[in-house]
Amino acid sequence: MNDPRYCGNPDILMSYLYEDGDEHGRHAFEAHLQSCERCATDAAGLRAVRDDLAAWAPPDTVLDFRIVRDPAPARSRWAWLTLPPMPAWAQLAAASLVVGVAVGLSGLEIQYDQQGLVVRTGWSKPAAARTADASAAAKPADAPWRADLVAAQEQLRNEWRQTLPVSTTTAQGQGSPIGAGKAMSDGEYLARVRQLIEASETRQQRELALRLTQFMRDTETQRRADMARVADGLGVLEGRTGAAAAQQREMMNYLVRVSQKQQ
Amino acid sequence: MTVTDEELVARSIAGDTESFDQLILRWERPIYALAYRQIGREEDARDIVQDAFLRAFRALPGFKGEAKFSSWLYRITLNLCRDFMRRARRAPFAPTPEGRDVEDMASAERSTAESIEDVLTRQDLSRHVARAMGTLPEEQRSAILLKEYHGLTFQEIAELQGCPLSTVKTRLYQGLTMLRRELDRRGTGPARAEGSRTP
Repeated sequence: MNDPRYCGNPDILMSYLYEDGDEHGRHAFEAHLQSCERCATDAAGLRAVRDDLAAWAPPDTVLDFRIVRDPAPARSRWAWLTLPPMPAWAQLAAASLVVGVAVGLSGLEIQYDQQGLVVRTGWSKPAAARTADASAAAKPADAPWRADLVAAQEQLRNEWRQTLPVSTTTAQGQGSPIGAGKAMSDGEYLARVRQLIEASETRQQRELALRLTQFMRDTETQRRADMARVADGLGVLEGRTGAAAAQQREMMNYLVRVSQKQQ
Repeated sequence: MTVTDEELVARSIAGDTESFDQLILRWERPIYALAYRQIGREEDARDIVQDAFLRAFRALPGFKGEAKFSSWLYRITLNLCRDFMRRARRAPFAPTPEGRDVEDMASAERSTAESIEDVLTRQDLSRHVARAMGTLPEEQRSAILLKEYHGLTFQEIAELQGCPLSTVKTRLYQGLTMLRRELDRRGTGPARAEGSRTP
């Protein structure tokens, strides 16, 4: 029998299902269930769902959480130097003082003229010296061609010294090397320099080829190692899949055996 | 005499870490169960439990005791689960006990009165329930979890979910109805097999 107070009322049905309502209300709804097939089916169906829900249990797992505090840091022997927390205005004042003292000590010089604004400290070098320093610093000290250049230069000097006549060097002492170098003609020098440069280039090309070969060999070795690792991984995966399939098969066989026994 | 949660909370706030460890020991299983059923992944559920207790510990000084400690913990856990699923943009899923040895199942999960067939049936049903639960909207699923597995009152769930009592009952009703339909569609189970039963 349809009763608008109860039929399709989730509030009452849930209170009844979870035994939440008062006793009188529950009895009244029970009486309604006797006469209303729709509500009775609904209630029974939901009760069956609740029974099914009981089958769902989380897996067993080890839970052993603990709150662990970090150990207190050991007190440093310089801890007495640590200042207590200061307000912002005091920190600002201290910072201004430090900056002021630093400016005074460095002999700061600020100049503004047609060339623009120039800020210079008392320790600053003249502009020319600074430029020289900067250009020196800009040179890459460890450029790969530098060693070759130095070696070629050294070799050239040695050869030059060897070509000087012994008497000239001893007699003239501090004499000009240009004058002394007349023993070898300019053309010969030029040819010698070219020869040295070519030798240096050849050496560098050989070095480059060597490094390239080394790099390619390393890459190839790494690639082979990676491929081997991937192949191993695939093998393990295949093994696991096969084991899982075998387990499934065993389970199926077992079920078939059990069902045959029961028949 | 058992020390109440409230006493342990008070001691923890006073700086007694061991009291909080006791609270963890008391609540880690239910919290893990809630997280696992909510997201369906064992490892992630463990992470969420750890995170939940850590957050609770850090926020403990702000805990006023207006709600029960357990409700507060449930709320933290549900929020973490929600964040996790939103971050991962995925619905909960149910891990299946496939690939497990029948003998293992028989020895580990079978009570003395339960046959291997019963164990398998229960496993099967558990899998179906987990999958069906995964299809529910989050509010309905949490309402069912809190009511069915954690025994919270309608009022407590309403406070946890921040909604009226009648909304909780509606969510439960709709959730259970959807589950019923889903389980009927999927197939078997002891309760399903018995069909309609009168209360």
